[in-house]
Amino acid sequence: METMEKLPTKIITTESPKYKLIAENIVASYDGVVAVKNVTMKFRDRAVTALIGPSGCGKTTFLRCLNRMHELTKNAKIEGRVLLDGEDLYTNKQDPIINRRKIGMVFQKPNPFPTMSIYDNVAAGLKLNGLRNKSVIDDIVEGCLKMVYLWDEVKSDLKKPGMSLSGGQQQRLCIARALAIQPEVLLMDEPASALDPIATQKIEEMINELKKEYTIIIVTHNMQQATRVSDYTGFMYLGDLIEFGETKQIFENPRNETTARYVQGQFG
Amino acid sequence: MTRLIDPHLTHLSELMQQMCDLSIKSINLAIDSYLGGQNARNEVHEISNQILNLYDQVGDLTFDMILRYQPVASDFRLIRSSIEISYGFTRFGRYAYDITVVRDTFGDLSECKNEIIYTLSGEIKHMINLAVQSFATLDLDKVKQLLTDEDLVDKYYNKHLPTLINSKNTKCALADALVLRYLERIADHASFIGESITYIVTGKRKTH
Amino acid sequence: MITVEQRAEFRKHFRYNVGRRLVIDKIVKGVVFGCVILAIVPLGSILVEVITNGSAALSIEFLTQIPGAVGSADAGGIGPAIQGTIVLIGMSSLIGVPVGVMGGIFLSEYGDNRYGRTVRFFNDVLAEFPTIVIGIFAFVMIVLTLGNFSVWAGTFALSIIMLPIITRTTEESLKLVPITYREAAFALGIKRWAVITKIILSQAKNGMVTGILLAVARIAGETAPLIFTILGSSQFMDGFNGPIDALPLRIWRLSSLPYDNAVAQGWGAALVLILMVLSINIGVRYIVLRKKGRGLKLRMRGGAL
Repeated sequence: METMEKLPTKIITTESPKYKLIAENIVASYDGVVAVKNVTMKFRDRAVTALIGPSGCGKTTFLRCLNRMHELTKNAKIEGRVLLDGEDLYTNKQDPIINRRKIGMVFQKPNPFPTMSIYDNVAAGLKLNGLRNKSVIDDIVEGCLKMVYLWDEVKSDLKKPGMSLSGGQQQRLCIARALAIQPEVLLMDEPASALDPIATQKIEEMINELKKEYTIIIVTHNMQQATRVSDYTGFMYLGDLIEFGETKQIFENPRNETTARYVQGQFG
Repeated sequence: MTRLIDPHLTHLSELMQQMCDLSIKSINLAIDSYLGGQNARNEVHEISNQILNLYDQVGDLTFDMILRYQPVASDFRLIRSSIEISYGFTRFGRYAYDITVVRDTFGDLSECKNEIIYTLSGEIKHMINLAVQSFATLDLDKVKQLLTDEDLVDKYYNKHLPTLINSKNTKCALADALVLRYLERIADHASFIGESITYIVTGKRKTH
Repeated sequence: MITVEQRAEFRKHFRYNVGRRLVIDKIVKGVVFGCVILAIVPLGSILVEVITNGSAALSIEFLTQIPGAVGSADAGGIGPAIQGTIVLIGMSSLIGVPVGVMGGIFLSEYGDNRYGRTVRFFNDVLAEFPTIVIGIFAFVMIVLTLGNFSVWAGTFALSIIMLPIITRTTEESLKLVPITYREAAFALGIKRWAVITKIILSQAKNGMVTGILLAVARIAGETAPLIFTILGSSQFMDGFNGPIDALPLRIWRLSSLPYDNAVAQGWGAALVLILMVLSINIGVRYIVLRKKGRGLKLRMRGGAL
């Protein structure tokens, strides 16, 4: 859908596009239920890719496969490869902990650690991974809070408890916390669905800024949100990837019948 | 369960249907009265105004739907094209009125040979019907026909317009020139409608 | 679609016995309150009894001196018993708390499998064990091996009694911490053990401390196992290898004597025991959970926004 201003178009060049993250032939199940049935997706660098689909289509499970969080579910099984900058994250010699630091994750309900202050929350990933240099931590905390547009609101008292912030601020705090460990990719599982419209708008504006430097993958139920923030969209249904393409094309002229019916609200 | 937008889409198609009927009526009336030597200016003016009112209603309705329901995919293409197509219908009404004005201003034109007008107007009437049908059925074959017809009309127009220079009767020549022009424009807008219909169905626009 | 008329029709079938329901409400309320009073009355009357009978015996000598000869005018005090209880509680906690907390962590974080279920089952069985049997067990294991009654034996028995309580309450407190915090921590690439100790444990502090204090109060009052393990004594503690006195034991001994002043001393000792447990409770809560009060209020506010 065209907007009033000219969109910064992705230059279509003849060289192959840079894919930051490639998920190949992912098959994921838990407790015997196959949630993701052989899905392959390629995520471009410095772009936002949205995953849409009705409840239970497997998009959250797929997302959790990307940073090896799926393994934490009971009786979880997974096949396939996930390549970050060409390196497979699932080979045996890769400790999942290392990979989780390259790929950050933000959850649906804001979950700042309740017993920690704002500063400690953002620094949690750093301190608990062995970083001791206080000035480096200070720099990172400030940088991350600035990126999520929270710095001005909290800089006067970073020792306040994390839970004293409003819902939208808490979610931005969680995003800052995820960014603090310097990931390359940021996974967001319906980050704004528990927030009011103003807070949602701030999150979307923040995503728009972040995509200049990060690769972002966002699962969302809100299709208007997908059209607002994402460059590419993948539609999943019952564990399969039905259609994947530029957001404009998916929402203006979807090629697949099921996609068209879903985005127009005829089911799901 | 119907979607919230569905009753509005139905209302939109009713409005468009009314505009279609009025367009056909106005053009038929304008052409027939011109060829038959009658003055139908006021009547056609009335119809044209009705079309304009409907156009305003369509405008309000489509933008309201876009704001409220944020449609996507074929819903969106349909709504967007409806705005363009309804404009085309206002043009039909307008040009139909212009044709009757010629008759009204110039007075009696019974001495003019109306062969050119006669041939072309038959084609135009056919095209209007084709346009309306292709919008109702979203039939791309009809659209293809429409576009070829428009080509033919263009060629015919370009062939016959210069011949009017040699006409001895100034009044007839001027009247013919004006009416030819209006008919050609009607054909143009019919083909624009065809292009909009292509966009509704395929999502692709014609590159100019 | 149910219309206005249909709704009126359906409503005719409802029973509007509001009057009766209010009456039943009041009756039930009364019954409930009555039960509460019934439950509190014993507690209240015990406290009243203990305080009235025991406060007479309180004095500095009472708290610090050794017991005098039985039946004599100078009854002495219960100093050794107080020392003994404190030592026993301290030593048992030193063993019981770490092991119990570790057990609770295991069951909560790693115990969702058959092995965990087995451990949990045995833990629950141990919690229900008659403490006198545990006392006999300690007698056999420690007293007979070492050849004498000792603090070790008492500690051994009490820590076994304490262990399953702490394990269970620790597990329950940890389970109350929502999964989402574990997920957030894992997503930051934090190692499992650091997640548990640095992030989850601090949130479960409240419940864990309650559980530990419950266990401490329990063992402070256990008498049966002490009979077989520490023997009791009229002297202050002489090394961990020797016998020791303890308040429950002393209370028992004093109360069974026929002399009035001994019985009075027994009441005094009971009062001291109760006061000791109460002050440990309040003191530990204040120290460990002081910040919690403020945090709890803010957490509730954060949840409402």
